[in-house]
Amino acid sequence: MADHGAGPRSIANPEIDICDLHAFPSPEHPGNLVLAMNVCPFLPSAATLFSDAIDYRIRLRPVRVASTGRRAAFAVGEPERMFSFTFDVPRTLGGGRRVQSGICRAPSGEVPVTVGDERGTQSSGIRVFAGCRLDTFFVDQLFSGGIRLSRRLPEPTAINSTAGQNAMSFVVETDGAALFGAGAGPLVAIVAETTTRGSYRARQDRVGRPEIKNFIMMDKASDTVNRDLDVRDLYSEEDGFKLRPDYLGCYRARLNGSMAFYDALDGKTDWPLDEQGNHPLTELLLADFLVVDISKPFAEVSYFEIESAMLRGVPHQTCGGRWLNDDIVDTVFTLLVNNGNGPRISDGVDQTTAPASRTFPYLQPPNPNPPPLPALVGIPE
Amino acid sequence: MMATRFRTTDGTIALVNLDAQIESLERQAARGRLLSRWSADLVDRLTLRGQILGCIADCERAAAMAERLACQASADGLAFLARARTRAWMHRFEEALADLDAAERLGTAGAEVEAERAAIFQAVGRYDEAMALRRAAVERRADFEALGALAALHSERGEIGAAEHWFGESRERFRGVSPFGLAQLDFQRGHMWQEQGDLGRAREWLTCAWRRLPAYAQAEGHLARVEAALGEREVAIPRLTRLAGASDDPDYASELAGILVQAGRPEEAGVWRARAGVRYGELVARHPAAFADHAAEFWLTVGGDPRRALSLAKQNFAVRQTPRAHALLSRAMLACKNEPAA
Repeated sequence: MADHGAGPRSIANPEIDICDLHAFPSPEHPGNLVLAMNVCPFLPSAATLFSDAIDYRIRLRPVRVASTGRRAAFAVGEPERMFSFTFDVPRTLGGGRRVQSGICRAPSGEVPVTVGDERGTQSSGIRVFAGCRLDTFFVDQLFSGGIRLSRRLPEPTAINSTAGQNAMSFVVETDGAALFGAGAGPLVAIVAETTTRGSYRARQDRVGRPEIKNFIMMDKASDTVNRDLDVRDLYSEEDGFKLRPDYLGCYRARLNGSMAFYDALDGKTDWPLDEQGNHPLTELLLADFLVVDISKPFAEVSYFEIESAMLRGVPHQTCGGRWLNDDIVDTVFTLLVNNGNGPRISDGVDQTTAPASRTFPYLQPPNPNPPPLPALVGIPE
Repeated sequence: MMATRFRTTDGTIALVNLDAQIESLERQAARGRLLSRWSADLVDRLTLRGQILGCIADCERAAAMAERLACQASADGLAFLARARTRAWMHRFEEALADLDAAERLGTAGAEVEAERAAIFQAVGRYDEAMALRRAAVERRADFEALGALAALHSERGEIGAAEHWFGESRERFRGVSPFGLAQLDFQRGHMWQEQGDLGRAREWLTCAWRRLPAYAQAEGHLARVEAALGEREVAIPRLTRLAGASDDPDYASELAGILVQAGRPEEAGVWRARAGVRYGELVARHPAAFADHAAEFWLTVGGDPRRALSLAKQNFAVRQTPRAHALLSRAMLACKNEPAA
């Protein structure tokens, strides 16, 4: 489920749980970059407020392609830009209505934001929104979890497990070219984080690419080193642009084992391991951030296209990143199972109940009456 | 004061969000049957809100929901774990322990079940068994919850030095932003010092808990008791008046009546005393084990009916042989003995 409940800490504390990160060139205003982050999955409503103890932030750095082919890698630049959202205690207006305000600290200045105001705030060259919206993610979790449970590709039920559920969302739209200046290249790397505020600061959750933690890291069964350790909380504490060396071996072992398991599901090997047992995608995925080419136009389907092109040693064609309606579940499973050398692996769910719009704030309004939360499978108790 | 060290979500925000979560789950339940996992989640959230706001109605709803859940999902260990928690709240300890056994037989085992079992052992005075489980939990994972529970057990046993040490260790390991757990920990620490008669330290920790979560009725109620004991009745009375008016828990009305008597305001005290008496009567009729303890304390003190207190204290001692239950029983017996013949 993208990054919903991706680890014991997020399950116990939904307010810190980043469930999705999206980044895409604006379909409405070419040249603009849109960043969207969802937190607090499953139970929010229009009444839900953001925590005033959390810094919800999206960090960006310039990247370039450092190598291609089997050792495809990005080189991450040092300059960093950040959009950081913090919130106040709500005010109570007449009739008992609560209004929560916040601030988005952007590279160009501070922008006030009123939670739930659909028009957002436009100031300092950016436009921001914060509030409850319909969850953007869609997946047949009985299929995705069923793979881990049955150790084979089950028949999809084609039922969206997140249908009609809400999340708390942030949207930032900014001038892409202004981020790192004229001399910078077109590739931008993006991670989302929730951290505590105040003198004691700790990263609570962190997300780059979808399904790294849930599809790949959650499964312990194929790990050749740690079969009793949920590594996701440790991984979420890491700086997405610079993993500590302390746990790298642990993450590598988990990714190598888990991705080899997915590769074997169709009975053939599309990702031969090297002599040390390393999967060709491991290092690329441990550089866990979305990468967008801001010089390219908006595209509906572009997730992981930049990385795939790097692996093939050819120039990428699209903006990469991740549009709100992009069916990343099919993309990830097809990549892991057959690397495109076979039929598309589909969970049978191709869109949300109400696909995102092409105008700000892009995400759909919240569902006032969500259905009962569905059964999930293949998830540790 | 250590309270400033950790920034947690503002108490109002946390409660608004807890309300929203409960409302969402209830709305979903109205649209179709919730999975056991989410029903158990709803039971836990309602219980938490009840404990924070001093809302017995929430706890009763949670208990009723847990009873239904265990009937509907009789093959699901989570349902029995949820019911064990609500039965423990109602002081139906033997049944709660049986539910935990059932949960384990159905495959729900591990730290959560063991923590619940330890809490019940502690509540009924089986301290050695509780201590073995609490220590094992700390051995497994010395986190905020495990260390806080160990501290509370030492506190209950009167081992104040050890309790203070583990309360501090627990606090050091706090890593989240939710105010509920930290406020509850600080409340327990304040309550410990209150029981020890160190009113300064009691006030410090109870204030921490109440400031972090201003709607935390139990913390504010105990803070008012400490303030009254320190001679600050003019602060305590408005606090308790507000709590007694807002909460359906008669403890606040009882406490207020007692302080008003001390303040030489017997007529007002009489109103609150009568209100508390009626409410204790209702609650003891519905949940005898759960309220025998507090009702006995009421009739023994401001309620002025030692014989009724003795009957309830005996009832309480029958379900848990703790030092506190024993002391209550002894006081009630003494009061009856000293009562002038009718």
